[in-house]
Amino acid sequence: MPAIIARDLSKTFKTKVRPSGRLAALRSLVKPEYRDVRAVKGVSFEIDDGELVAFLGPNGAGKSTTIKMLMGILRPTGGSATVLGLDPAEDRVELSRYVGAVFGQKSQLWFHLPPSDSFRLLGSIYEIDDDDRRWREAELIERFGLAPYWDVPVRKLSLGERIRCELAASLLPSPVALFLDEPTIGLDVVAKREIRQLLAEAARVDDTTIFMTSHDMGDIEKVCKRAIIIHHGEVVVDESMKALKRRSLSRKYVGVRYASPVDLELPGLSPVKRTPTAASFEVDTSRHSLAEVVRALASRGDLEDITVEDEPLENVIAAIYETRSGAEAQALGLNASKGAGAARAGEAASA
Amino acid sequence: MRERAAYPGNFIGSMFTYALFVFIFSRVWAGAYAGASEIAGYTMRMAVWYFIVAEVPSFGFGRFFWTLSRDMKNGQIAYLLARPYDYVGYNFAEKYGGSLVEAGVILVEGLLVGTLLVGPPPLAGGASSLAGGAGVAEEASRALLVGLSLLLAGALNYFLQASIAMTAFWLEENEAFFWIFQKLTLVVGTLIPIEFLPTAAATLARLTPFPYLSYAPARIMVAYSPGEAWSLVAAQALWLVLAAALARIVFSFGSRRLSVNGG
Amino acid sequence: MLGTGRNGPGRLGGRTRAYARFLRDAFVVNLKATLEYRVNFIMQFFGMMLNNAAFAAFWLVLIGRTGAVGGYGFSDVMLIWALVSTSFGLAHVVFGNVRQLGRIIMEGGLDVYLLQPKDAWINVLASRTVVSAWGDLAYGFIVLALMNGTNLERLALFTALAVPGALIFAATFAAAESLTFFMGNSSAVSSALTEFMLSFSLYPEGIYGHGMRWILYSIVPSGFVAFMPLRVFRSLDWGLVPLLYLVAAAYVGLSYWLFRAGLRRYESGNRMDARV
Repeated sequence: MPAIIARDLSKTFKTKVRPSGRLAALRSLVKPEYRDVRAVKGVSFEIDDGELVAFLGPNGAGKSTTIKMLMGILRPTGGSATVLGLDPAEDRVELSRYVGAVFGQKSQLWFHLPPSDSFRLLGSIYEIDDDDRRWREAELIERFGLAPYWDVPVRKLSLGERIRCELAASLLPSPVALFLDEPTIGLDVVAKREIRQLLAEAARVDDTTIFMTSHDMGDIEKVCKRAIIIHHGEVVVDESMKALKRRSLSRKYVGVRYASPVDLELPGLSPVKRTPTAASFEVDTSRHSLAEVVRALASRGDLEDITVEDEPLENVIAAIYETRSGAEAQALGLNASKGAGAARAGEAASA
Repeated sequence: MRERAAYPGNFIGSMFTYALFVFIFSRVWAGAYAGASEIAGYTMRMAVWYFIVAEVPSFGFGRFFWTLSRDMKNGQIAYLLARPYDYVGYNFAEKYGGSLVEAGVILVEGLLVGTLLVGPPPLAGGASSLAGGAGVAEEASRALLVGLSLLLAGALNYFLQASIAMTAFWLEENEAFFWIFQKLTLVVGTLIPIEFLPTAAATLARLTPFPYLSYAPARIMVAYSPGEAWSLVAAQALWLVLAAALARIVFSFGSRRLSVNGG
Repeated sequence: MLGTGRNGPGRLGGRTRAYARFLRDAFVVNLKATLEYRVNFIMQFFGMMLNNAAFAAFWLVLIGRTGAVGGYGFSDVMLIWALVSTSFGLAHVVFGNVRQLGRIIMEGGLDVYLLQPKDAWINVLASRTVVSAWGDLAYGFIVLALMNGTNLERLALFTALAVPGALIFAATFAAAESLTFFMGNSSAVSSALTEFMLSFSLYPEGIYGHGMRWILYSIVPSGFVAFMPLRVFRSLDWGLVPLLYLVAAAYVGLSYWLFRAGLRRYESGNRMDARV
């Protein structure tokens, strides 16, 4: 049975209609009017044990609402959520024994005390035997490198160290699934890398199902194997990271550098940037064959270096975020795959 | 004055607390006077009105220490010291001036709540004052003297609190001194009239500035006699001069230390 | 899928033990956090003693002049200060978040507790201790010692009375804070309640009229926290102690019910600021 199942999950909020004009304002005091806001309009997906899923979407897309429904903090108005076989809203306390959460802004740790005390109290909250807890603590201290500040008050730790403790604390009860919200926000490059490694390790070693939201491309690319993108309250993309990356919007970036100055005008394609000996091109692979462009550039002169890069994932996702409706976002996905497909077909033909 | 308006929420809380205190003490005095109609020269109505007026300085002029301390702690003093005018005087004008609105509001609130609870304040001439003309003149002089006394109480409060706040030149944690000052103010003249204290304590109290922070205006209000009122006001003025001098002395020693040690 | 070898709390006995362990550990952790703030604590303790001493002086002078006020002599007044102080202190030592609950709800901080396998109400309330409350707790015992010497029976009775007092304090404050679920920012109500409780409870019962008495035995439970315990203490009437515990249980039950009602509202998400 899949670990997390969302079946047609919907959530509609009632918000007060803001009255305009004095008469309307008076009327609203006595009899306030409400209108429906459909934040989530039928979201469905299934996530298996041990999967590493990135849950993405722009602000206002219905992301937080969906997660809250999966965690049982919010009750759905339609559809159902099933996590580890339980209804999160009905059995939240029971489910919380097996599901952990790491929020970027909120903390499970006591601010004024060292991690050792927080872990002890968490052991009590999760009803872990003292011996089991100590054993598990030792393992986590080792894996997460917490020994240097195990007895230092949390308020004295750097953000990176704090997040590491937070993550370790969430793994103390050996959860089956872990929900993370912006786990690397505010961290420096090194700290981000460490957290990502620790997350990947948790999934690998403990077989923890990881469901993560983030605005950080690195988090998504380096940790997760599958992406679910939600926008306008609907799932618009649900596929593996590999497939997502291949949605290159049919664009490749080619950079070249030569030993001596060279004429770099190509038929129907001008460089975006150029110096006498170097240039970069944006190649629309639905209009130009990549192979021909590369061959042409190679034959222009004494080639010292050539780079061929995909459309950054950021741009792919940004394009999806910028759409105005669920339908538009889904169509974008389809067109992109078509474009990529055509380019690949073109390459294969000319090879 | 404008700064005062910036903290309306906090002030509403003060007004609420003041009304609550007045209510409770009106009940306490009613209980205290269950067995006697006069104690230490005060009737019940006098005692309640005493409390109403005596608490005005605490609520209207009681927080200078905190605003001054905040200024000192956040380094504003270094900035202000560089300015070419009198730091002590400038601060007095700004903060004391600003507090007058709050004190005024509290006084009005006290008059309203007091009248609701125990009836109007005792007449200026006492129960025997029935003649119209003389009565009005007396009421007017009493009102004026109460006002003057409150203003003096506020200014005295300011300079005493400023002196305590300026111990921050030497001490990081000086709140304890203010707490002691505050509690002494409370016991010596605010919660209970000086006449209630045992003779020895009362004599000792009159040698301190505390009665002139609360007892003076309250006494003038409930047991008015021109002679006593003027001598109270004179004593307030004297203490004010002393306190202002103290503040200046503390300031000059302190600012010298600041420029020597760099704070 | 589930049942990964962890001892589930199937039976009631197991669950009670788990909560007892949780409260014990929370208390220990709270105590450690307090020790981190020793200096702060000493300052606040000193301030509290000064304040209480000032009022003690007031009562000494007044009662010296008038005899009993509202049926209370000087030792009576001192004893209700002691009872209220210790009850208030105990409430905030064990359930330090009782007056922060509203703020926590507004800031979305409740979610962390909802996602832990312990009842969210107890969890959030017990997750903090108020440093100064230890001083309030101690003050009552100090006064008791000064007034009654080392009378063990009175000490036991005093302690027994402080517990329901603490529960009633905690339950009442928590209930006021739970109004946040229904009306947004409830801090005005909470502050007003705190002020009422800490003033009415510290003056003789006899000064209040009949109308007030109704209030003092219901929404501002000074009667149950101060006046009734004082009567019990004075007359050494142990028989009434269980009654106070029953009253405390009722307050706790009502407060918990209010919180759960608010939580249901929170879970349906229909707040005006239900932003995604």
